[in-house]
Amino acid sequence: MLVLTRRPGEAIVIGNEIVVTIVEARSGQVRVGIDAPRHIAVHRHEVYEQVRRENLAAIADARDAAGLLRDRAPSGDEDRSS
Amino acid sequence: MTDRPDTAAPELVFDDGIPGFPGLHRFVLVDVVPDGAFQELRSVEDPNVSMIVCVPWLFFPDYAPALGDEDRAELGIERPTEAVVFCPVTLDEDRDRVYVNLFGPFVVNAATRRGRQLVLTDSGYPLRAPLELRPA
Repeated sequence: MLVLTRRPGEAIVIGNEIVVTIVEARSGQVRVGIDAPRHIAVHRHEVYEQVRRENLAAIADARDAAGLLRDRAPSGDEDRSS
Repeated sequence: MTDRPDTAAPELVFDDGIPGFPGLHRFVLVDVVPDGAFQELRSVEDPNVSMIVCVPWLFFPDYAPALGDEDRAELGIERPTEAVVFCPVTLDEDRDRVYVNLFGPFVVNAATRRGRQLVLTDSGYPLRAPLELRPA
């Protein structure tokens, strides 16, 4: 991993399109500003990781879920009226 | 799930991939149940990768995922009617309970068939909203 030291107000350029600026650093927290093209999704890592883990679970469960739902899928209407 | 994708099912393209599977971009939806409430989102590029997805509004009629400006622009979606939305489905450990991921829905432009998975940070929507199955 590349490790760089930056001061508030300084920035890092990634490729030709992404600029990461250190906005503020104090009390053990760092505020970071990110300029990226809109096709690059930017998320907090722990949040992205939750979605990634659920995708892996959904893929691992696909076969069993298909079987279960073929037998016991609820109908939307029943669910709404309950 | 070794059968070939139905050639009638149009491909959906996820240019950014989906979290966990960044190298896969082309998917098809195949019905799991006759009414289409549950479908299998199947990779065209890797037949081992598929997940069950669900049309959320059938079971969560008040669900209102917010499409950010960047997602809207990137997908070319201006009106809600232009979007197709479906959510990943998971099971509990006992394989007896079904959950719908309302936090990370897939949104596809119905016309261009290009989509992405949203990450609804701060929305309060759960990663696992339980669904009641019909009794066995």
